[in-house]
Amino acid sequence: MEASRLKKITALWIVIVLVLFVVSISLGIIMRLNQGEVLHLSPITFYSDMTVHGLTMIGIWFVAGMAAVNYVMERYVPTGKGANVFALICTVIGVLMLWASAFIGHFHAGWTFLYPLPFRIAWAAWATPLFLFSLSVLTLGWLVWTLSMMTALLRKYSFTQVFAWQHFRNKNPEKETPPFVLISMITLVGILTCLIAAVVLLVLLFAEFYSHGTFVNDALLMKNLTYFFGHTIANEMLYLGLAVIYELFAEVSGRPKWKTTWYVAIAWNLSLVFILTAFFHHLYMDFVQPEGLQIVGQLASYLASLPAAGVTVFSIFIAVYRNKLNWNLTNMLFFIGVAGWVVGGLGAVIDATISNNFVLHNTLWVPGHFHTYNALGNVLFSLGFFQWFSLQYAKNPVNSRSSGLMLTLLVLGGIGFLAAFYFGGADSIPRRYSNYPDELAAGKTLAIIGGAFASIYLLGILIFFVKVSKRCFGILFSRS
Amino acid sequence: MQHSLLILFLALAAAAIAVFIWVFSSSRRASAEQSGMKSPLQKRLWFILILTVVLGIFASVTLPKSPYYLFANETPAAVVHVAARQFSFLLSQKAIDPEHPEGEDSIVLPANKLVEFRVTSLDVNHGFAIYSPSNQLIAQTQAMPGYVNRLRWKFTTPGTYHVFCLEFCGMAHQIMRTSFTVK
Repeated sequence: MEASRLKKITALWIVIVLVLFVVSISLGIIMRLNQGEVLHLSPITFYSDMTVHGLTMIGIWFVAGMAAVNYVMERYVPTGKGANVFALICTVIGVLMLWASAFIGHFHAGWTFLYPLPFRIAWAAWATPLFLFSLSVLTLGWLVWTLSMMTALLRKYSFTQVFAWQHFRNKNPEKETPPFVLISMITLVGILTCLIAAVVLLVLLFAEFYSHGTFVNDALLMKNLTYFFGHTIANEMLYLGLAVIYELFAEVSGRPKWKTTWYVAIAWNLSLVFILTAFFHHLYMDFVQPEGLQIVGQLASYLASLPAAGVTVFSIFIAVYRNKLNWNLTNMLFFIGVAGWVVGGLGAVIDATISNNFVLHNTLWVPGHFHTYNALGNVLFSLGFFQWFSLQYAKNPVNSRSSGLMLTLLVLGGIGFLAAFYFGGADSIPRRYSNYPDELAAGKTLAIIGGAFASIYLLGILIFFVKVSKRCFGILFSRS
Repeated sequence: MQHSLLILFLALAAAAIAVFIWVFSSSRRASAEQSGMKSPLQKRLWFILILTVVLGIFASVTLPKSPYYLFANETPAAVVHVAARQFSFLLSQKAIDPEHPEGEDSIVLPANKLVEFRVTSLDVNHGFAIYSPSNQLIAQTQAMPGYVNRLRWKFTTPGTYHVFCLEFCGMAHQIMRTSFTVK
């Protein structure tokens, strides 16, 4: 009964994520076409779309990781179904509130909602509190889920075991911590920390909003808190996806299960430190930020790539290189996703170098690199899970021809769409412009190219959506 | 500089994709008896070591070039006060009073001499990004309410330099701009 409930909740998560993904990609394409002057939206409509696009995308791929980790975690510990459902309800309500604030109230402060922009009201007066309450609902739902998962893990594993510290010295410890458990716990700690930052940020925003001018926040502190929350949660959603890859890649490929070794344990423990301090790179151009923190930002951003490349990516290479694998859509999505993650990481490391950021900050280079490790990285991790999950209960055989077509569309569309961002960044085209000035007219052509390739990517997603959601509806309405 | 970074990125990305394709094709060609990579731990540790050294070199070369250290020991020949607000910039060679903010109609700066921009905001966060006469972004800082960011730069080419706001600041963000002349 419990297993059946989890199965249905997971299927519902997947359908919701895919529907919201299609809507959000469409908003993105509309934005690119407007920048290319194929469409002519008012700037307010453009920036409202931009706000919804950014926040919905971060939200859905975070919850996609949550749903996947929750489903797989049941193999190791019993998880709280109530917390899972609560997170799902909060996510749906939160997204609807966000959409209402932006689409009806015309709130358009961007996903970063950098203080004090939400208070310079250029939209319906109710849209700002509704936006802040929407973030509060999302934070509450995700916080409850995170605490529930951590509690579930700590019931079975001791504090040191859940972080695999016994693996540091002992090659064959008495109690082994599976990599999936270790990575999930590391990620959950990161999520908890950034959600606490979100709570502090929201409390400060509410305090100023309802104080009617008697309480004023500090802009630098608020910016630090915003990026500690925003950057970290966007990073953690990737790590949720990686936890699933550690668990499933070998399994779906017909290879022996991955084990935690001393270097896996050390790498993941260290990565927690790097993930939590890399966000400083968002404030490089705020010269009043203490220089020490700026340097920490660059070093942490560099160091984060060591465990990622040296442990996770190298483990994928070891698993694949000269090994006969049972290749299928699931592990192809994982494998291509890891490649996309690496390429996006290269773009990120270049931008995380302070002297480069001086000429790349807030140009199209920035959406270039983070769309790379989302659209061709993290999204593929989650799609791999969706495919694997839905096939567990499928009655129909897999159509490999449509799988090949889908992958081709995703990769081809993704590369073209991303290239337009990188070339735009190198041409100093600003991000978050509804229209480009004549001096930067190259941005218009690149936007049309980007929009056209994003449409090809969307086509691939639609093929996947039809196939997987059909299976998921079958699961949702099945009796068992 | 940006185009060099693009070439570096494209080269690294192409190399990474080539490795992934090579690893993938080795698996497609593999027979059931083949046993994967030989001495993987040794190779992994070498890979991490090389990556650490490369990143260490990158960090030690690039950190001293950070904008906070640019011309730090020199005295500026000209100071420009910048107050950003939705959706315009005020530029003045005299200090700007936030209660009665006023800018100068035209700013002319000397070529090949150090200029310091003291950048703040009167409302929300803005960007202060300087574009060369050939429309390349050459230097930037943020304009933050309650703080003054000091950006130092030497302009080598005479001409008209445009300034664009590079931090999203509201509905007319895309038209927030100004310019100055370097002679």
